[in-house]
Amino acid sequence: MRTRCCLLLLVLSCLPALARAQGNYEIQVYGAETVPPHTLIVELHSNFTVQGGKDTIDGVYPTNHQEHETLELTEGINDWSEVGFYVFTSEQDGHGVQWVGDHIRPRIRVPDSWDWPVGVSLSTEIGYQRSVYSPDTWTWEIRPIIDKAIGRWYFAVNPALERTLHGPDVTQGLAFAPGVKISYDFTRVVSAGLEYYADYGPLDDFVSTHNQQQQLFAVTDLNVSPLWEINIGVGIGLTGTTDHFIVKCILGRRFDWRRHSPVD
Amino acid sequence: MLSRRTLLRLSGAAAVAGSLPRLAQEPVAPDYELEIAPLTLELSPRHRLKTLAYNGQVPGPLLRLKENQPVTIDVTNRTDRPEVVHWHGLFLPVAVDGSIEEGTPPIAPHATARLTFTPQPAGFRWYHTHTMAMADLTRAQYGGQHGFLMIEPRDHPGRYDQEFFLALHDWRGHLLASDDGAMNPTYDAATINGRMMGAGEPLRVRPGQQVLLHILNSSPTEVHWIALAGHDLTVIALDGNLLPAPRVVPMLRLAPAERVCALVKMDNPGVWILGEVRGHVQAAGMAVVVEYANAVSTPRWQQPADLLWNYQQFTGAPPGGEAAESPTVIPLVFEANFRGHGAMEAWTINGRSYPDARVAPLQRGRRYRLQLINRSRDDHPLHRHRHSFELRSLGASLTAHDAAPADLHGIIKDVVLVDAQTHMDLGFMMLFDYA
Repeated sequence: MRTRCCLLLLVLSCLPALARAQGNYEIQVYGAETVPPHTLIVELHSNFTVQGGKDTIDGVYPTNHQEHETLELTEGINDWSEVGFYVFTSEQDGHGVQWVGDHIRPRIRVPDSWDWPVGVSLSTEIGYQRSVYSPDTWTWEIRPIIDKAIGRWYFAVNPALERTLHGPDVTQGLAFAPGVKISYDFTRVVSAGLEYYADYGPLDDFVSTHNQQQQLFAVTDLNVSPLWEINIGVGIGLTGTTDHFIVKCILGRRFDWRRHSPVD
Repeated sequence: MLSRRTLLRLSGAAAVAGSLPRLAQEPVAPDYELEIAPLTLELSPRHRLKTLAYNGQVPGPLLRLKENQPVTIDVTNRTDRPEVVHWHGLFLPVAVDGSIEEGTPPIAPHATARLTFTPQPAGFRWYHTHTMAMADLTRAQYGGQHGFLMIEPRDHPGRYDQEFFLALHDWRGHLLASDDGAMNPTYDAATINGRMMGAGEPLRVRPGQQVLLHILNSSPTEVHWIALAGHDLTVIALDGNLLPAPRVVPMLRLAPAERVCALVKMDNPGVWILGEVRGHVQAAGMAVVVEYANAVSTPRWQQPADLLWNYQQFTGAPPGGEAAESPTVIPLVFEANFRGHGAMEAWTINGRSYPDARVAPLQRGRRYRLQLINRSRDDHPLHRHRHSFELRSLGASLTAHDAAPADLHGIIKDVVLVDAQTHMDLGFMMLFDYA
């Protein structure tokens, strides 16, 4: 048994005005699977911006040397749905440990019984983040998720669409923020690959490449136990306005709330 | 193709009579007819699925045959794919056995094959499709094509007042690629005799009766533990073969294709559940109500605290004299090689996968000892076509070298579950030449 700890998410809904601040609170490409019913997954996302923006712009704190700790709780509802809840925090010299915001993320998926050739699910996420960390304080996202495992290879695509509900970008409409993952199983335990995250700006009018958010992470997933998820990665910014160097880690633990007989 | 006369001659001391496959020359009516055709099966009022079945029912009809008495069975394939019926546990020539890998001819779509054979040995056997499911977990054995086969002996083992034939099965399997690469299916439903708990008729008994249960695990992949709440079970036969001595147990364990015959003294009136010991499997439907006459109450279940089963408990005393001929020892090393979380593991025997995995040809009439060495992470069932074997040693760990294997005697089976990281020895005499 292994847990697909490799499927790291990206929550770009925290992305505020492009090229002004980034929301590296949860960096993960979703896989299509949902959490089984009566099961809770507790994840801690630890992301440190080694080299990022150093200036306070319009009251938004710089990202350089920010340590983001995000608690994610995901509970399975049934065989094809789940709901996730996030608590974002940030620690930085001069600002201490701060609560950043919260999100909620329901998700549904195509049941196994449909026997589709690829995994497909759809999540939506809405939440608030404080304006000192993101000018857009209320954001909404809808995220189609497609994935496929073929032998040792794993592919996942998240062509997410974001909408600012309150903040400077409220007039921008839907922004396109895809995430892509490709990984390879070197052994039963060790998988490694690349994750790509981007925010190209409004769907009908992408911003210039320079002002787009694009990140590329080299990641490894350690499938040590069906109970644990471990993902470690280092990422670089591919555009001038993206944080240049980020280290991320996800540690997750699965808890089964089902009533088991003593022999289960 | 072998003639029936030739086969009878070849079978020799093994007393195997055999076959005339697919012929319509004999004008006589068959003893039995099997029709393979699509069926919408109702596992429960809320669970229906489309599958293939024998004679429109799951399990297929119980065929009662007499040992050493030739029987003719017409099998009609009303599907669009070739079919083959395997007579599991019988000593049959390959022409009719149904082990398609060994050369049994398939039954063409919309064709009828007449099979004639002489059933042996006596005991609880079964028949099932031997087509390949490959990646389609609704076909072949996943689709529930199975039925009971009872080869009546001259003398019945033990006295009983009533008997029940029960088949355990799992349905709607899905491979979860997020697992460990073994990609074992998980199942949406589990049944006894094609019905989920509460959807079928109860087993009706009377106080004081001696009931004989014939239980078959026809699941394609799952091992099952079965108990009857409020009652012990006296195992008298494994895979249809009588044990050296009956043994009272609190529960049964059946690997895929294994059978257990157990007597139950109905001495605890009430309404009870016979079902899977593990709660999540029972909740998926694998249970049936056992109802005493005039008893009215909610069915009761008593949850065992442990899973209890081993083959050693059924061993008999060592025989007085060993066979003069030493068996030829054949080591068979099972390994499962990881090929990624998105693929089935590659199983090998002695480093090769079927059909490249071969041993030197065995000779009819010679004794052999198979050393099954399971180096994989999974317990693995093994079935020997057209033969039975005797468990000779069991459970030696591949890692705990100081653990001595248990010597066994008198346990005759045709399926065995080899635990992960252990080895097991089986003895048998080759009954046939290779075709």
